[in-house]
Amino acid sequence: MNLEALVDCLSSASCAVTQVSTGLIVGMLLFLVTSGLSLIFGVLGIINFTHGAFYMLGAYFAFTAYALSGSFLAAMAAGAVGVGLFGMAFERLIMSRVYGRDILMQLLVCYAMILILDDGVKLLYGGEYRMMGMPDAFALPPVEIAGGFVPGYYLFMVGIALAAGLALWLGINGTRLGKIVRALAINPQMVGALGINTTLLYAGVFGLGSLLAGLAGALAAPIRTLTPGMGLSILIESFIVTVIGGMGSIAGAFLAALLIGFTRAFGAIGFPLFVDGMMFALMALVLIVKPSGLLGREAA
Amino acid sequence: MRVSLMRVSPLRAGLARDVAVAVAGLALLLALPMLFPQPALRDFLIYFFAYGLLAMSLNLLVGLTGLVSFGHAAYFATGAYAFGLLMQSGLVSIPVAALAAVGGTALVALVIGAICVRLKEIYFSFITLAFQMFIHSVIVTWVSLTGGDQGLRGGIPRPPILGLDLNDARVLYGTCAVVFVLCILAMRQVAQSPFGYTLRMIRDNPARANFLGVDVTAMKLGIFVFAAAMASVGGLILALFVSGAYPEFAFWTTSGEAIFMIMLGGMKVFLGPLAGTLLLQTLNHYVTIYTEHHGLVLGTVILVIVLGLRRGLADVLYDWLQARRARRAAASDPVPGSFEPAPLADGALIKGRTV
Amino acid sequence: MLRVEHLSKSFGGVRATRDVSIDFPTGSLTAIIGPNGAGKTTFFNLISGHVRPDEGRVLFDGADIVGLSSLEVVRRGMARAFQVASLFPSLTVREALTAAVVSHLRASGRVLSRFPVAAAGRRADEIMDLLGLDPKADVLSANLSHGDQKLLDIGLALAMDPKVLLLDEPTAGMGSEERWRMIGKVHRLWEVTGMTVLFIEHDMDIVFKIAQTIHVLKYGAVLAQGTPDAIRRNQDVIDAYLGTDHRLSETVGEA
Repeated sequence: MNLEALVDCLSSASCAVTQVSTGLIVGMLLFLVTSGLSLIFGVLGIINFTHGAFYMLGAYFAFTAYALSGSFLAAMAAGAVGVGLFGMAFERLIMSRVYGRDILMQLLVCYAMILILDDGVKLLYGGEYRMMGMPDAFALPPVEIAGGFVPGYYLFMVGIALAAGLALWLGINGTRLGKIVRALAINPQMVGALGINTTLLYAGVFGLGSLLAGLAGALAAPIRTLTPGMGLSILIESFIVTVIGGMGSIAGAFLAALLIGFTRAFGAIGFPLFVDGMMFALMALVLIVKPSGLLGREAA
Repeated sequence: MRVSLMRVSPLRAGLARDVAVAVAGLALLLALPMLFPQPALRDFLIYFFAYGLLAMSLNLLVGLTGLVSFGHAAYFATGAYAFGLLMQSGLVSIPVAALAAVGGTALVALVIGAICVRLKEIYFSFITLAFQMFIHSVIVTWVSLTGGDQGLRGGIPRPPILGLDLNDARVLYGTCAVVFVLCILAMRQVAQSPFGYTLRMIRDNPARANFLGVDVTAMKLGIFVFAAAMASVGGLILALFVSGAYPEFAFWTTSGEAIFMIMLGGMKVFLGPLAGTLLLQTLNHYVTIYTEHHGLVLGTVILVIVLGLRRGLADVLYDWLQARRARRAAASDPVPGSFEPAPLADGALIKGRTV
Repeated sequence: MLRVEHLSKSFGGVRATRDVSIDFPTGSLTAIIGPNGAGKTTFFNLISGHVRPDEGRVLFDGADIVGLSSLEVVRRGMARAFQVASLFPSLTVREALTAAVVSHLRASGRVLSRFPVAAAGRRADEIMDLLGLDPKADVLSANLSHGDQKLLDIGLALAMDPKVLLLDEPTAGMGSEERWRMIGKVHRLWEVTGMTVLFIEHDMDIVFKIAQTIHVLKYGAVLAQGTPDAIRRNQDVIDAYLGTDHRLSETVGEA
């Protein structure tokens, strides 16, 4: 525990800026992953435990595409779209077979899938750490803000995540398709009776949710080390974000993801050993005091 | 026959039968290493005791109460670490350390359970997993106490209990077997007690149980704590045997395997999870011999069984017996059509109707 | 035994119950009737602690029970059966009833005895006897016929040894003959036990035949109350029932 260091950091503009930027990118990655998880839960009513593995897959897809093409854009597209398609295939071929069955079966299918994906990645890339490296386009000197240095890539990441979040929000609340998806969450029979192909819609929603996890993985690839099993911690953190923010609320996920991001960033200075404890304490507190989460409507 | 049994005093009749089965089972377990004296068999069986208790206790939640916990291994690990640390302190004897470890685990489960058991089905699964990963992270981070990634090193001393030298592999095996059978018997008693039937009500239809005066939350918390305590005994056996404790005990895959053991063996038959433990352990044994890619193989096997067979092996047998009984009853039932065949073929728990 | 005073409840903008005041004397047999959407089930939910009223009091044995959980209300002696039988599919009739009795005896937490506890088993046998369920004692609840499921649902409520029993459409989903058999059992139950019984019913013939008192709800408010003869002659009731509501409720039933 080193609260003095935390106070020092908070009172120095440069340190605070650096930590805020770190907190922001942790928060944004979490936000992307959580909004995908939440979208899938909201419409299909299942918790996709493979979501963390999809994040890992996004990072490795980006890594591979970048190594092959040298194009950062191709890397992002491979991570996001590749995982989106993978998610759709997973939903159609495997997950859809356990809808309506015992939740135990859904858990087992996800468990099996995570084992396969983690081990598959290990088989293809080896078990050791991999680095994608920072693309040339971002190899610029860091931007200086109030004496603190923020890598240009961080700003780009935050921008992309915000844009994705906004697009999702607008897509769900402002378009006809969004209306159909919301209706699907409430009354699938009715939507089906209107002649809309619900099977395709389910696959699409699952794919979109997976795409968000893949995008997060791809965005993280240049700044994180890649390793099989890297998706687990972000999966657990996105559970925490879901609980704190409130299931099904995109705004809640955003708020909670930032909260966790900052807890991580500043906790690393003030109480490095208790960062996890702090996050879980926050989650437990929300579960006890407001089980529906900060902005959620439905109680957990 | 049923009527005459009821008259005798069901407690004594039921318990006597279970005790008889337990004694026979124990005799078998003790005889096995004498018939096949290879140490490998003994080791295999001790692992079986440890993971068997994990799976059996998890089934008290999953199969009996309908609480699908994805974080049960947390208590397995807590038991192992608490016991190991207490023994390493050199202050207490094995029985005292064991009781304290089980009690301590129950306390941890009480706190976590108090938060979790109120949650809806799917939330319960992922919050229990989250708490398990928290315990895992505590174990990995608190290096000075737990040894972090490396596990609890330095061995766990085994001072003699009442003249029994646990450093003798045969004595150790025998002791573990006795503890194992006693725990199974305790779980059987709980499952057959009024409490156990109350849990079945909750599994089938919690809202209705509540309308019948059942304090659903308290009952769920009770079984959550008891199941955690039983899992900790499993962890304790493993710690005693391997003379250490490792963060993998608390890793999510341990919980995942326990869930698979239950599914593989079957949830409807009391000892089903033990069959699953045996099967998975055998599978793991051969898979690790022939390939490094344990995850790929295990994952594929799980997918094939879940999507193909759709239920546990013991459940297949159970459903067949039920269907036969139903057919017989239908044949002797004077009112046709009032008795449909048991809709149990799906292997899924029967969902309670909501009010 | 049971008295409600000025009970009101709104869901969103819909006023499901409006200023309802009714007295149910000890040992009475009362029917609650009314067209579809009259708020009959909501009324039961309000008095049984399932839903909290916005206003009003529910006096049970002289004490206000508003705000108590459904669990506490059951423990004070008010039990209910449901419109759609709410059962424990994987338990047999005997097991389900015994487990319910165990709960009533506050023995649900016992782990050192064996199920079935003798006293609870005897009481379950009595209930099965009373309802004529004994031939089905060892049948899984999920495999019972519709009528037997409704009976078992009532049996579960009886296991609570209630002073007041609420029956939400005991004859729902039954053919004419089966209805009369069912209501005959309910009537006998009331005579034998001396409980205060409230029931919701759609079949007017049944209501007029067995109820002592009838309360007619419409749009959440009490439209009329009185003896069967008085209700039969009540112009408001006739109007309410001869409107489109009447035909609807006969053909569709209250879903």
